[in-house]
Amino acid sequence: MSNIMNSLYNMRILDDLARKETAIHKIHPLVKLLTTVSYLTVVVSFGKYDIGGLLPLLIYPSMVFALAELPVKPIFMRILLVSPFMIGIGILNPFFDHQIYLLGGKEISRGWITFLSILIKSGLTVTAALLLIATTGMDRLAGALRMLKIPRVFVLQLLLTYRYISVLMEEVARTLRAYSLRAPEQKGVHRSAWGSLAGQLILRTFDRAQRIYEAMCLRGFTGEYHTGGFKEIRVWELAYLAGWVLFFAAARIYNIPMVIGSLITGVIR
Amino acid sequence: MSHHKLEAKDLHYSYPDDHEAVNGMSFCIYHGESVGIIGANGAGKSTLLMLLMGVLFPSQGEVCVGDVHVTKKTLSMIRQRLGMVFQDPDDQLFMSTVYDDVAFGPRNYKLDEKEVEKRVLHALELVGILHLKDRAPFKLSGGEKRAAAIASVLSMQPDILLMDEPTAALDPKSRRRVMELLTSFKHTKIITSHDLDMIFEICDRTIVIKNGEIAADGTTSEILVNAELMDKCGLEVPLALQNCPVCGIKKG
Repeated sequence: MSNIMNSLYNMRILDDLARKETAIHKIHPLVKLLTTVSYLTVVVSFGKYDIGGLLPLLIYPSMVFALAELPVKPIFMRILLVSPFMIGIGILNPFFDHQIYLLGGKEISRGWITFLSILIKSGLTVTAALLLIATTGMDRLAGALRMLKIPRVFVLQLLLTYRYISVLMEEVARTLRAYSLRAPEQKGVHRSAWGSLAGQLILRTFDRAQRIYEAMCLRGFTGEYHTGGFKEIRVWELAYLAGWVLFFAAARIYNIPMVIGSLITGVIR
Repeated sequence: MSHHKLEAKDLHYSYPDDHEAVNGMSFCIYHGESVGIIGANGAGKSTLLMLLMGVLFPSQGEVCVGDVHVTKKTLSMIRQRLGMVFQDPDDQLFMSTVYDDVAFGPRNYKLDEKEVEKRVLHALELVGILHLKDRAPFKLSGGEKRAAAIASVLSMQPDILLMDEPTAALDPKSRRRVMELLTSFKHTKIITSHDLDMIFEICDRTIVIKNGEIAADGTTSEILVNAELMDKCGLEVPLALQNCPVCGIKKG
């Protein structure tokens, strides 16, 4: 029970973090969105055996973490939340892909390489997405999506889902609290109550959602979600975008660890 | 100023399960009046507010704000002039900061961002929570949430304020603060509540509702002391007017 309340508060940490005022937070949301999208594109474009090439891309999340003064732990915990999916997708690779791959003189199955590459890629993409939310906030992000002319139905859906998750979880927490107080001997919810509990919950959530929607309509909501005006994109923000895009492109075209390695070995020779 | 007048003419409304919640109500509320709407649970108070705001439409009869009928076409204009504060502030506060929440209404009316800021700050200042503007609504206390909900309506600069149980679930000090706030507003006020002491202090006029009909409509000082009427409608005389629990002496 307390877990649900905790995760509710934890969930809102991203909103709290987004309210900081560091240099990264002040960057125009559209610029951050485009940077993230180009980062994601580059990360997923790497081949499935190409782990070395992915490594330089670690620089981007590390820089954002540092510059935006974000705590690593809560964001890392969220990445762990999706880790079962990542493992689920990749775990069978070592069994199916038996070809031998030589790594530093040792033979390993190529399946392990692809598994590792899936883990790294999903880790990097999820981190980048979380960093975007933690430095921008959902409302401003939605504003940026609207600037890109994403249809308002989709943007609204995204925003309201994000908002209603907490509404639903509050209802869950309240219902479970009431249940557990009258069923002190039980661990969790007995299966005989699952149906009615879930049913109650969905009805209550409908009611709640209806009231929130009415409150929105009463204040002039007509389907467009206004998040306030944005400032013009400044030159240094464009430079931020251009800088990262160039770096991502370079990391995609050249195998940077290999280049550095051969430079160093060249110097030594 | 006739355009601040709010008139209900022979309102009827039944819910889909045929429960008749409002059954022929008529009244007229004029500019600057503060009117308390009281009645037992299920008497039809909330339904009446919903009808006045145009969330529900009457099956018979009509609501007029000034000289404009509340219809789907006029809703946008009507809602700019009527501000409604919900019973549960959590239903009303859905944005990520208090500022954004109070700005939600003005932004929907496509005001210039500078004007939005001016209105938001003014509304927050009026209810005394300017210092909370960057906080997340869910982290506020009950009294602060109520103030934020009121500010979110004030920022739309309505002529008429409708409030559903504005003092419900507040501690005595917060309740007093909200009451002082309400008294300070010059708006036309329509307040539904079971807090009869609050109605007694704030409202000059009271409408008593029973089973979807108006049981009485008159000055608060006459209606709330009428023990027989109150009892008939499932209510009682405000505590402040009842016998002193310690010495038993009748007050008032």
